[in-house]
Amino acid sequence: MKRRTFIAATGTTAAVTGLAACAGGDGEGSGSGTSGTLTLATVAAPQPWDLTEAGLGNNAIYYQPVYDPLLRLTADAELTENLATDWSYDETGTVLTLTLREGVTFTDGTVFDAEAVKANLEHTRTGSNEASTNIASISSVDVVDPQTVAITLSAPDPSLLTNLANVSGMMVSPQAIGTPELATTPVGSGPYVLSSSGTTAGSQYTFTRNPDYWNAEAFGFDTVVLRYMSDPTALVNALRSGQIDGGQLTDHRNAAPLEGADDLTVTEYVTGDVDGLYIWDRAGTVVPALADVRVRQALNHAMDRATIIETAKGGLGDPTTQVFNPESTAYDATLDDVYPYDVARAKELLAEAGYADGFDVAMPDFSAFFPTAQAALTEALEAIGVRPAYETVPPDQLINELLAARWAMSYFTLASFRSWDTILIQFLPESLWNLFRVEDPALTELVTQARNTLDEQEQADLFQQVNAYVVAQAWNAPWSVVKGYFVSNDRVDVQMRSFAPAPWLYDFTPAS
Amino acid sequence: MLGFLTRRVLSAVVLVFVIASVTFGLLQLTGGNPARSIVGQNATAQQEAQKAAELGLDRPLLTQYLDWVAGLLRGDLGTSWFTGQPVSATLADALPVTMSIVLAGLLLSAVVSVLLGVAAAVRGGWLDRVLQVVSVLGFAVPSFLVALVLALFVAVRWGLLPATGYTSLTEDPAGWLRTITLPALALAVGAIAATAQQVRGSMLDVLRRDYVRTLRARGLADRSILFRHALRNAAPPALTVLSLQFIGLIGGAVVVEKVFGLSGIGTAALSTAAQGDQPVVLGIVVVTVVLIAAVNVLMDLAHGWLNPKVRV
Repeated sequence: MKRRTFIAATGTTAAVTGLAACAGGDGEGSGSGTSGTLTLATVAAPQPWDLTEAGLGNNAIYYQPVYDPLLRLTADAELTENLATDWSYDETGTVLTLTLREGVTFTDGTVFDAEAVKANLEHTRTGSNEASTNIASISSVDVVDPQTVAITLSAPDPSLLTNLANVSGMMVSPQAIGTPELATTPVGSGPYVLSSSGTTAGSQYTFTRNPDYWNAEAFGFDTVVLRYMSDPTALVNALRSGQIDGGQLTDHRNAAPLEGADDLTVTEYVTGDVDGLYIWDRAGTVVPALADVRVRQALNHAMDRATIIETAKGGLGDPTTQVFNPESTAYDATLDDVYPYDVARAKELLAEAGYADGFDVAMPDFSAFFPTAQAALTEALEAIGVRPAYETVPPDQLINELLAARWAMSYFTLASFRSWDTILIQFLPESLWNLFRVEDPALTELVTQARNTLDEQEQADLFQQVNAYVVAQAWNAPWSVVKGYFVSNDRVDVQMRSFAPAPWLYDFTPAS
Repeated sequence: MLGFLTRRVLSAVVLVFVIASVTFGLLQLTGGNPARSIVGQNATAQQEAQKAAELGLDRPLLTQYLDWVAGLLRGDLGTSWFTGQPVSATLADALPVTMSIVLAGLLLSAVVSVLLGVAAAVRGGWLDRVLQVVSVLGFAVPSFLVALVLALFVAVRWGLLPATGYTSLTEDPAGWLRTITLPALALAVGAIAATAQQVRGSMLDVLRRDYVRTLRARGLADRSILFRHALRNAAPPALTVLSLQFIGLIGGAVVVEKVFGLSGIGTAALSTAAQGDQPVVLGIVVVTVVLIAAVNVLMDLAHGWLNPKVRV
């Protein structure tokens, strides 16, 4: 087994160790030769082909063979053209004009044009799954001429362009939209078409080349097979016996059987999640103690992050005090030193706040999912006199009970990709994961300023200020930047991708 | 005969209906929230409500239940809440996988256990003692462990057979046989142990009977006595064990399918029950109950064929 560590090439750090032949930059899509079959294991259950029902994250790869997005992201998250060849915002940042590629047709013969973009965005937006949520800021789509569309937003959306380069911006044949067949048969303009032979809905999907695709050289394989494998043992056996070329492992324990397999490369990478103690009740609605910033800071000092990662997570992950992705513009490495592990300091802060004897707090029981994490959390809290009382609810109700603001704090994992994505789901007064709808005027002011700033550098500075403020206020007590393993064999080269839980289809090339 | 069959089919229909209704009730008791699971953890309450309305979850429970029963009577099992696929299509994909490994496992255990059981009963001695020990072992070792070991050695280390996946019989018969061999073997081990013991016991019983001695005295060949007379009389108890094994194998398939990455009924039952994909869970329950009822009827018929005394 070869090991390598992937560190994104954004910002200043770019270090790859071990067998890391992949250079950053524009390496993607440069595979010159075309050959063979790429077989990948997927970890998410497939969803319908209608994008109103489409998820993101680990679901995105199902859509990538058949649907082409308006824009494209390189592996290090730079925007490039795709179905749209040019894009620009007006001076208010609320009208986005796209120039569209000419001569593209869907596999049913329908021409790709401005009407098709309008039909797609207006349709996808009406859904209830993640692909829809991500373009909720679009208020209207107007056809300017056949090759130009103007997208009007209800407010500036710093994540819109990157979302249009993902599932939300994928184009389905307008003829197929709204038909019941779309639930099971995709019709797009992507690099591949779904083949009925070798496809069993729900478990295996085989894609063959779309002969009319405009950018075929960017995809190095003639056939792509996606196999849904929910069981890590089956996944590891399939990798070891060469049945699949790549797959991801989220638990360090599952990687152990790969020791000694010389044709496999295990890449450690940032999945885009941050886990730890999330302090939801920052205003002290349920647990008054948490309204005091000193109490929240004490909780941060109580966390021995390095040891927790080593013992509870098998060393997989990097300690952090920030909820922002280390590859995002908001991240600031110096903030990770703000709350060193210091039980004495934690107790002192609690005493200053008037809680020398600690306090009681109810938390959801996650022992069925994260037994080691919960044990570590209990130990850390009890060491400073905080007494957790775990409440058990059925697994499929956990999320809803959390969302109903039942618990003041809990262990949790939230996705954290680009700066604005993280702010959107956590730090606006109406954000879904700002569970108690806490509003801090100073923070809201910073966030609004960042949202309305169109200059990228200025915006990045403001995002850093948001991050610094949230860390100083100890809104949460994060533990680690979650990492995972991507395992691939020597038939393929894979480039890990920033801001995605796993590599995308574009990131695989036949081994040179 | 016809009356017997009609009664059996009718009771199977009642059984399907009762079990499906109980399952429907149990699924409500879990109090899960499928709409939330579908829309994901970042969707708003409004999107969740929209999804619930789409699925008809905002209607009274009784209406939902009667709707489902009406669909069932028309042969319509509904559509998966999560994938949008018709339940019948999901079953059509998953059932052949599970049936392939379960029936192959059953066939394998029937043949091997008869051979082993008869040999142990007739030869006795060391063969019998070895069989006793192996049977206890076969009983004690769970099928998932057998599956893991088979996958690790036969598939991964030696590369003799595929480690995961399923090739359909119509697409490639040889490939089909290769993909189902290990799972069927893993399933069969426990069943062989149980059935071989049963065959051995009833063979010993029968061989001690007076009529066997009479047959011998008349100078019939040993082989004829053994297979035409003794085995036929010893078969019914073994057959009963085997039909129970069938039900056990369907349960065992859940784990074995997981180890070999097969998308059969077991995997589908597990994942859809965890998600709360009610239409698929109910569809699987209905199909499984029908299968088990059918196997029981077949076993009754086989008993009648073997033993005229129980013919009706």
